[in-house]
Amino acid sequence: MRPDVLLPILAFDTSAAHCAAALLWDGGLILRDEAMAKGQAERLVPMLEEVLAEGGIGWRDLKAIAVGTGPGNFTGVRIAVAAARGLALGLGIPAVGVTRLEALAYGLPRPVTVVEDARRGELYVQTFTADGAGPAHLADGVVVATAATGSAAGDAALPPAAPLAEAIARIGAARALTPQPRPAPFYLRGADAAPPSDPPPVILP
Amino acid sequence: MTRTLTLLGIESSCDDTAAAVVRHRPGHLAEVLASDIVGQTSLHAAFGGVVPEIAARAHVERLDGCIERALAEAGISFADLDAIAVTAGPGLIGGVLSGAMMAKGLAAGLGLPLVAVNHLAGHALTPRLTDGIAFPYLMLLVSGGHCQYLRVDGPDEFHRLGGTIDDAPGEAFDKIAKLLALPQPGGPSVEAEAALGDARRFDFPRPLLDRPGCDLSFSGLKTAVLRTRDALIASKGGITAQDRRDLCAGFQAAVADVLAEKTRRALAMTALDGSPLAVLAVAGGVAANKAIRARLETVCSANGVSFLAPPLRLCTDNAAMIAWAGIERFRLGMVDDATFTARPRWPLDARAPGMIGSGKKGAKA
Repeated sequence: MRPDVLLPILAFDTSAAHCAAALLWDGGLILRDEAMAKGQAERLVPMLEEVLAEGGIGWRDLKAIAVGTGPGNFTGVRIAVAAARGLALGLGIPAVGVTRLEALAYGLPRPVTVVEDARRGELYVQTFTADGAGPAHLADGVVVATAATGSAAGDAALPPAAPLAEAIARIGAARALTPQPRPAPFYLRGADAAPPSDPPPVILP
Repeated sequence: MTRTLTLLGIESSCDDTAAAVVRHRPGHLAEVLASDIVGQTSLHAAFGGVVPEIAARAHVERLDGCIERALAEAGISFADLDAIAVTAGPGLIGGVLSGAMMAKGLAAGLGLPLVAVNHLAGHALTPRLTDGIAFPYLMLLVSGGHCQYLRVDGPDEFHRLGGTIDDAPGEAFDKIAKLLALPQPGGPSVEAEAALGDARRFDFPRPLLDRPGCDLSFSGLKTAVLRTRDALIASKGGITAQDRRDLCAGFQAAVADVLAEKTRRALAMTALDGSPLAVLAVAGGVAANKAIRARLETVCSANGVSFLAPPLRLCTDNAAMIAWAGIERFRLGMVDDATFTARPRWPLDARAPGMIGSGKKGAKA
């Protein structure tokens, strides 16, 4: 019988003020979540090595990498995504991206809408039904017709079914069975950049 | 350490995403087996300068492709590498972090040592990659982001003699191009216009020539060109093609005068018992400007000093210089682990006093 997940898988996320990792294998799970506002770039790889050592395996035993792609802190997301792509290249195994919104919806009954604080008075919103995921978008406000989860979902919010890194690992382990694009940061906002305001001079004949 | 070394180099500190493979057999010139560079000019064109967030977004999605192409072009596999060298600063931190994390992941996956390289050391050691010259030598690093004179005494020994207290000349060329509706990058377009212009029509300042030493400044020169342009526009509603050529020629002549005189002083400052260092090497895109280069060559020949300009592809940002600097450090036993920090600011010479205007967080470079 074909397995329905690719294991062991190492998952990690640095899209917010934390460095989180999960090692998932057939019959076991190790979770690590360290709160930190900065320093993820220095801490990430040593922490992953600690998690592997605790699981009694080495880098070469991994079958896949999963990484949280945001939305979240731009720099934090790139730290994890770049490391995941480097690891995948070095190990010759797939790396798959899982968005924060997908991870938050993991394991919850469908339909469910994820409503996350996006700062600047905006929200990240995505609805997941039995058929799959709707489009993720940025909104000023939202009226949710389904059950809801996430940091801005209000008092009736469902608690997450699994810690973030575990959810990324479990989604990634299923996704990694089929060819996937290389993980890329999931941005719902464009880069802050404006074209120059001063017009070029008129060139006279 | 006397064995042959093969290193992968990774560079992403500004707007070029690059990977390269360099092999060095002791006693021989190093070989650049591959050097892959993907520029971002078109991504930033609409903004009149490099936008850090746009640059970082591009680096993180392009680095692994660059690395794969470099290995394929070199005809080697990861198993043939001895270590991975990566730019750890100074530069735009989003890009530096992308490269650093790519390298940390790759090194962990392959079980290879990491070498964290200062981007400026990469430029400063390039004459040894291309020509195998001996220490010490004088280096003029003159690019879009940097301008400084360095006495290079060893792979990790740099003495800064002076540098810009505000803008880099390459940035000034880009700005002038923008002011005059010329295409980016500004270096080649301003140079082409200047070749057709009269450098004596406008009298632009030669900043800091009246002060001793070899610090430089280009901010006031930029402003002078802007004021002159605005005066022309005010008088007739625009500028003519000939005005533009003359503005470019005047500006370029001022930059060349300043760099020539400061180079003469840097040679004098590094002279021992009356004889200067044997070689002045240049790096950075501005070294490609023929007028500036001719002036520097004149200063060198007048002082009996050899002038060395590496080929342009190794003079502007590239990863071969990072791989080479990594080889030099690796041979001295200088390796790093996955806890090294990516640094936006990282002066090569920590002993030199901070430059004026270098900010409360310390000197950038």
